[in-house]
Amino acid sequence: MSDKIKKIALLGNPNAGKTSLFNQLTGLRQKVGNFPGVTVERKSGFIKLDANNEIEIIDLPGTYSLYPTSLDERIAVNTLIDINNKDYPDVIIYIADVTNLDRHLLLLTQIADLDFPLLVALNMNDIAEQQNIQCDEKRLSNALGIDIIKINGRTGNGIDIIRTKLAQLLNTTNNNSHSNFYELIEEEKRLSKKVSDLFPVKNEYHALLLAHHAKKISFLNQDKKRQLQELVLQNNFNPINNQLDEIMQRYNKITPIVNKVLSKSFTNAKTVTDKVDFIVTHKIFGPLIFFGLMLFIFQAIFAWSIIPMDWIDQQFANLSTYLQSILPTSIISRLLTEGLIPGISGVLIFVPQITILFLLITVLEEIGYMSRAVYMFDNIMQKFGLNGRSIVSLVSGGACAIPAIMSTRTISNWKERLITIMVTPLISCSARIPVFAILIGFIIPNYKIGYFNSQGLVFMVLYLIGISAALISSYVFKKILKSEEFSFLMLELPEYRKPHWKNVFYTLYEKVGSFVFGAGKIILLVSLILWFMASFGPSKAMKQAVNVATIESSLLNYDIATTNLHIASKKLEASYAGQIGRFIEPAIKPLGFDWKIGIALITSFAAREVFVGTVSTLYSIGRNADNLTIKQKLQQEKNEKGEPVFTMPVALSLVLFYLVAMQCMSTLATVYRETKSWKWPVIQFLYMTGTAYIVSFVVYQIFK
Amino acid sequence: MENPFNITQLKIGESAIIAEFSNGFVACKLMAMGLLPGSAIFLMRKAPFGGAYYIKTKNHYVALRTNEAKNVLLINEKKSI
Repeated sequence: MSDKIKKIALLGNPNAGKTSLFNQLTGLRQKVGNFPGVTVERKSGFIKLDANNEIEIIDLPGTYSLYPTSLDERIAVNTLIDINNKDYPDVIIYIADVTNLDRHLLLLTQIADLDFPLLVALNMNDIAEQQNIQCDEKRLSNALGIDIIKINGRTGNGIDIIRTKLAQLLNTTNNNSHSNFYELIEEEKRLSKKVSDLFPVKNEYHALLLAHHAKKISFLNQDKKRQLQELVLQNNFNPINNQLDEIMQRYNKITPIVNKVLSKSFTNAKTVTDKVDFIVTHKIFGPLIFFGLMLFIFQAIFAWSIIPMDWIDQQFANLSTYLQSILPTSIISRLLTEGLIPGISGVLIFVPQITILFLLITVLEEIGYMSRAVYMFDNIMQKFGLNGRSIVSLVSGGACAIPAIMSTRTISNWKERLITIMVTPLISCSARIPVFAILIGFIIPNYKIGYFNSQGLVFMVLYLIGISAALISSYVFKKILKSEEFSFLMLELPEYRKPHWKNVFYTLYEKVGSFVFGAGKIILLVSLILWFMASFGPSKAMKQAVNVATIESSLLNYDIATTNLHIASKKLEASYAGQIGRFIEPAIKPLGFDWKIGIALITSFAAREVFVGTVSTLYSIGRNADNLTIKQKLQQEKNEKGEPVFTMPVALSLVLFYLVAMQCMSTLATVYRETKSWKWPVIQFLYMTGTAYIVSFVVYQIFK
Repeated sequence: MENPFNITQLKIGESAIIAEFSNGFVACKLMAMGLLPGSAIFLMRKAPFGGAYYIKTKNHYVALRTNEAKNVLLINEKKSI
């Protein structure tokens, strides 16, 4: 019977341990994509159960019932009520948490009424034992008429039984002997009959669900949808009332069963969670602990990543040098050593930061801390159109916007997630630090103000400007963007648990992989283009640049190193990047920037810190370039009239430009990947760079 | 306390029994999350900055915004959990 690959869906409430079971079943054979048309992540894995059965296991988003309240939940429900869905399951493995059995049985009875072949994996038995809860799973199985297997998602106990049962189930027909849990009332039966005359349905409950979801069904065409909605209207069907009655009726059946099969000695003792939350969610200590943790993450991203980042940088530089020494000089070898290898290095250099950030965030998520942060900051973030979870992304953005944007995936409300993605790059990331460090000396001399250092204070002000800009932009986006999703907060705060390291590992593996192979491809491509533009130009102009530079160098008696620098600088001027720099000069002149800064603005697109390398090449025309720091080179730089280029207004304008403008193509590539559309990275680029232009313009015009 | 009252009128550390919900959407969601009429609830905390309410029921913890918390109508229980 196995000519097509069978689909097995994993379903359950949030926090039931679905991810652990999924990882136990599939190991590293996981594929992460998106459900068609939406940005909800679709995780699946292919496994071979036995000679007959090759199956695909799909991890459906967690939901409390078949009446969804978020996009994720709706995906799960749409998959289960659309019999033509690509992912419509042949069998459902339902994960239930024995410590909250009644609630977990609600959704189970709903999918049982949809006549799916079912297996129940009863999880959290170890925790139940600690709480003195005993569950007689045989009686439960008999009472429900559904197969129940006790498992431990952490140790993998019971997983082999799941596999065996699954194979049996696939080779036979429906195993479940249960009668319907929910009896439709007369009015519902009538409506259900009319729906089933129009649409292919499995049974009357299925038809009722279609009627219930008439407005939100994505898989019917407009005509069918209208027909369905008319039907609902004609029959005066009130979804909310019927939904309430259905849930009550189900609980009326579930509660007696649960009382029969569970024996628990209820204790009054404070749980670990009670004790921890007494401090962790405290009005004052709570936020303090949160900022302490975020500071720690921020520090970790900075401090722990330096060594691996330098190592990666060094290895690739060595590789380039080595290849340069053995390969004949040609376009191909230059492409390899100056374009491709630095490009790959530019992707991999982010891996340590991404790994560290996700390691720490995943651990916080696993132990249950993140939902506490959401609870504490929900109100304040909401005022700016953000979500409690956005605060994590905003703080991470202080290290690097790329992992920060990737971490918005935990925000289920699409509008709130999108706003977070759009504003996170305004938080000053680590790549801006070298730029600020060089330019800050032109803004303010270094002196002490009390205990503080003047330049340090300016640094802090720059960070505060970034944070304010992010919050103001969120507020604006909140007013502009429309959302059909209703905003509310009814959030379960899971009990604190030890992190499950296997889950942490799989999450890291997947996130880092999706960065390297997803965003990485685009970063590589753009850095190749930038390399080409900075290395090549119209051949006549390039030749002339080399000649002029050589003659000038010999006239000025430069040594070989300085001569080479001078040639490099003149070539960069003549290159396509240089041409563009000159081309955009009229546009950036009002900001106080000359065409050389223009070139740096363009090359900064590879990464902001490239600014330093570019200006260092451009301004290396001095007598003895090696002995001067970049800052000294900038100080000596004069324009045609002999006035210094880097004055206070110019530096201020430039710093603000770097603070606000979207200049990081890696971030844009990540935004594209996360939003699945070029629309949002383009809007992000335009609004950030546009604002930067206006701010720099105003500031320069005031101070010049 | 006069009946009926709602979660926002509870003091931290007080408990009560859910009587009913005054909003269908909130009712459906909370009931699916296991908060049923008749369940005892205990107010653990109010969030800093006047935000959400953090409540505990027999085996789980739930956070609600003020808007949602207002829709959970309570009656006094005989003795606290």
